[in-house]
Amino acid sequence: MANKIKNEFVAYSEPAIRNNLSIVEYCRTSVAAVSGCTAGVLGLTGLYGALFFVIAVTSFWFMLIFKAGIDSWKKYFISRKSLLLNGIFGHFFTYILCWTFIYGMVHVY
Amino acid sequence: MPATFIHRSILTVGFLSLFHAAYSAAQHRSYLRLNDLDFTHLPLDIFLQALVSLFIIMYGVLNITGDFKEIKAAAELDNKSWETFRNIPSFYIFNHRGGKSSPVLTKTSLEEIE
Repeated sequence: MANKIKNEFVAYSEPAIRNNLSIVEYCRTSVAAVSGCTAGVLGLTGLYGALFFVIAVTSFWFMLIFKAGIDSWKKYFISRKSLLLNGIFGHFFTYILCWTFIYGMVHVY
Repeated sequence: MPATFIHRSILTVGFLSLFHAAYSAAQHRSYLRLNDLDFTHLPLDIFLQALVSLFIIMYGVLNITGDFKEIKAAAELDNKSWETFRNIPSFYIFNHRGGKSSPVLTKTSLEEIE
């Protein structure tokens, strides 16, 4: 019984978690900005742009898990889902900013 | 694996390629405007170049930010032995009886070392 309880608790190192999440946050902000620029270059409008954002973020999520290792991502992150969904609306606004800006630069003027 | 020169150059190439695609798209728009044509879609090569450079930039950013650390608290301690933790440099003693009672270290040999 005592052994069972001991196995349920895992001690996580906070600096390591914070380091990993800050790396992920940095990457995802850049990806949101760059995919916005790409959507602007491609001249996407309306829902196609939103769809492009979903595709870009999801493919980046796969790349992230691939980098951490398909089998060994549990060593670096507690949850896979939070890597995809954390702060996605904030990134979506970054995306819209870059999207409209580059769309205006390339296609309007 | 920290960020190497190769990854930095991959990122730079991606950005340059994206910029080139943007410039090509702008030129395509001005071509359409001059010929009074309607915009339906971008030419396939510009489209593909923009997409590919997006993925190149993603790859570059992912590799340039550095490695993940293991989040288990014991991960850093796994390859250290107990001797490492017992080692307390402030309690080192160099002036002990070992020097005087040793058959090898005589007074003269100590002076020679000094």
